[in-house]
Amino acid sequence: MTIPRAQIGTVMGLLEVLHDFKGKVDLAKISEELRLELDDILPAVEAAKLLKLIQVSSGDLILTNEGTALLSKNISGRKKELNKMVSNLGEIKGIIDFIKKEHGNEVAKEDLLSFIRQEMPDVDAEQTFSWIVDWGRYSLLLRYDSNNQKIKLAKSPTTKST
Amino acid sequence: MTEQFEPSKLVELHNVTKAYGPLTQRPQVVLEHINLTIRQHEFVSIVGPSGCGKSTMLRVMTGLTKPEDGEVYYHGKKIEQVCEAMSMVFQTFALFPWLNVQENVEIGLEGKPFSKEEKKKRVLDMVRVIGLEGYEEAYPRELSGGMKQRVGIARALVSEPEILLMDEPFSALDPLTSTHLREEVLHLWENPDLPPEAVVMVTHNVEEAVYMSDRIIVLTARPGTIAKEVKIDLPRPRDPRSPEIYKIVDDITGLIA
Repeated sequence: MTIPRAQIGTVMGLLEVLHDFKGKVDLAKISEELRLELDDILPAVEAAKLLKLIQVSSGDLILTNEGTALLSKNISGRKKELNKMVSNLGEIKGIIDFIKKEHGNEVAKEDLLSFIRQEMPDVDAEQTFSWIVDWGRYSLLLRYDSNNQKIKLAKSPTTKST
Repeated sequence: MTEQFEPSKLVELHNVTKAYGPLTQRPQVVLEHINLTIRQHEFVSIVGPSGCGKSTMLRVMTGLTKPEDGEVYYHGKKIEQVCEAMSMVFQTFALFPWLNVQENVEIGLEGKPFSKEEKKKRVLDMVRVIGLEGYEEAYPRELSGGMKQRVGIARALVSEPEILLMDEPFSALDPLTSTHLREEVLHLWENPDLPPEAVVMVTHNVEEAVYMSDRIIVLTARPGTIAKEVKIDLPRPRDPRSPEIYKIVDDITGLIA
């Protein structure tokens, strides 16, 4: 599974909490501090791990250099970094290739759903589509217009990082 | 002549009392004898037990509701109607579900004397600053709570208000998202290119108030009166788990509970 399945805000929030704890803290401690059930934190942990922003080692969450670097950037810089990170994830790559090759940089939601069902039979396709759209939008990788239900590749980000 | 520099006064509440219901009968007094000044370059929070009139205070400040007694001044002039130089961020985002992100933000420019192109430019600039680039054509139903509140903030800031009022802006968000958005709001606040000269935030979360503010107004239970003003001189970025912060949070919580 190489599609982040957590809201971006929760992943960034997790990195910020880790940063407050000098880059390393027990998962149970975070749960206690934020009065959050483990189940409510784990999606953010999994997504952050997938993006190599944190490492998990015997119950401890450890901020990686990539995670620290991401935090040090402003909003446009973060989007630019995430653009690279997200587009390097295996399943996202497959989806980008699908949109590129088959459909001239734009594809109907239905077609992408069929692709997801075929390539990832074990996941909820609609839910997966939503995660792809959300991370794709934030990282300026994909655009989605729910009026015409078309998803397309965004132009590469022009924003400056700091 | 030596004169100590004092940041200019933006808003002043003079002996404000706000009550609901007819004064001749038994009115519900919500705020009583409030004296408060909001100065330039200040991030002020208002905390207090629920029902103490925190949100009413914001409404009185903008002129959305009139006090039964006392006056509100903006730059020394009495406020008689809704003050255009202040805009508000709401707890529940208050977005129009049938408008997309760009259109929701543009609502903040309604009635402003800009051309269509100028409005679009300002909206897109603010969308970018606030981290919503990429979401322009998204509808509220497609957004997480954190993204919805970014739209609320962008809409409030797009008119370049002198004062930004926020009513429990993070309370509807999960703890991780609110941690993140608080950080982003502080980044915006520290950016000298962005308009607000002052922020006034209402919150029931004392830790949040201490972490973010320069000054905290602590209200008593209804009728709300000012129990104490606490100045927080700690440099930013602050460590939310430092003993200094703990101590202030403790003191203020003691006043409220």
